[in-house]
Amino acid sequence: MKFPGTCIICNEKIEINELGLWAKGIGVKHEKCSQIKELRCAICNGSAGCQSCEFQDACDIENVSPLCICKKCLDQKNPYDSYQKSIKKKLPALNLNLKT
Amino acid sequence: MMWSEKHRPQNISNMIGNEESRAAIIEWFTKWKKGTKPLLLIGPPGIGKTTIAYLSAKQFGYDLIGLNASDVRSKNRINEILSPVLGNTTILGSPMIFVDEVDGIHGRGDYGGAEALIHILKEPTVPIILAANSDSKDKMRSIKKVVKTINFCPISPRLMRIYLENILTKENAKLSPGALIKIIDKSRGDIRSMINMTQSLVTGFNPQTEKSFESINVEEGINSFFKSNSIDEARGVLYSMQIDPREKIDSFYSSIIMSSLDKNSFAKYLDIISRADILYGKILKTQNWRLLRYLNETLIELYQNDDRIRYAKYNLSWPLLNRIRWDGKKIKSLSSFIAQRLHLSRSSFTTIGLPFVLFCIKNKKLDLDLEESFGEIIEKEMELIN
Repeated sequence: MKFPGTCIICNEKIEINELGLWAKGIGVKHEKCSQIKELRCAICNGSAGCQSCEFQDACDIENVSPLCICKKCLDQKNPYDSYQKSIKKKLPALNLNLKT
Repeated sequence: MMWSEKHRPQNISNMIGNEESRAAIIEWFTKWKKGTKPLLLIGPPGIGKTTIAYLSAKQFGYDLIGLNASDVRSKNRINEILSPVLGNTTILGSPMIFVDEVDGIHGRGDYGGAEALIHILKEPTVPIILAANSDSKDKMRSIKKVVKTINFCPISPRLMRIYLENILTKENAKLSPGALIKIIDKSRGDIRSMINMTQSLVTGFNPQTEKSFESINVEEGINSFFKSNSIDEARGVLYSMQIDPREKIDSFYSSIIMSSLDKNSFAKYLDIISRADILYGKILKTQNWRLLRYLNETLIELYQNDDRIRYAKYNLSWPLLNRIRWDGKKIKSLSSFIAQRLHLSRSSFTTIGLPFVLFCIKNKKLDLDLEESFGEIIEKEMELIN
């Protein structure tokens, strides 16, 4: 890495000259962390933080629906409404409102 | 009213999880024209396959005709139901067909239904959606060839949590954080099951006890039930016995009749068991499973701190069961031996001939020159026909 950063998966520091994977708008992660499957937050689009999730044992990461919600967004007011708004923005098809 | 019905999403965007799949279904409806391949929704139960079919029909202005596996087992039945819908003109407005649990139509009960359905799927004149829990069965291959498959995955626990918390807010109800996590853990991505479990806890139907989430085995359950120090403790134990209702009733029955009780206690206990049995019979007959909630409340009447009752698996004494097993085996072999000589089938001989043969042996009118090993069983059976 040219600059230091914090891994979006494990939250540990990534120092200069250490190997990491970076993507614009998403962040940086360790090479080893990139191999761990991680769900994405449907609201902020960041990592859902599966490594520190309270449902880590119950969640079958490989098979569940890929979008989840991170702890920060979960603790906000009305996370359900935020989820709906965010999904409608991401997938405009779901915004369709014909005959309700 | 069941919360799972009351809080069923009112439009597709109100659902949670499987965002891409939902968008793909909407896109399919938007572009639908005669001849478009039908949709096959695959996924485990309780994640919204049926809900999305009904909501799409509602949102896109179709009149949904819902069928399940039992409706599409025979060719005649399929044609009877679907011919009026698939014709060029229909009085049904804009029909749409939804076949639920399509993976259940195959097997011995399929009288040409699958072939007839595939024929319809090949040239659809109305939108058709199929739903199945799995596509791994061999016969699903032929269906998969003529449809567009969309997979539905279980919902991640945190998404389920925000959905559940939203329902609890609407119901003005609260659940302890521990209970909330345990419910979500137990429901394993099945939203319907999660909502039902929450309702049963919040409304007090299934009391929140320390053992509410534990599942105890039948032996431990029956013994703890009668040893409980209070009715609430007994109720907790009863609800923790998460076994088939029939097995639950039978276990109480066998445990009671094998215990040394006075006749008044027997009468009282058996009356309660009879009422539970009648209730379960009614549920099976009417398929009204909502009545199941009253089963535990009937069985709780059995509670009395009565340490005379211990769990018993069989409703016959062990010596009697042993005799049925071993003597039955010997009678079977004796009957085979004699039936062969009399040119009869073994079952005909055992039912009709054996009592007469035993009488003849007893009256010394018949000597069959049998092996010595049959002597004991013949003696026993002759004693019984006295």
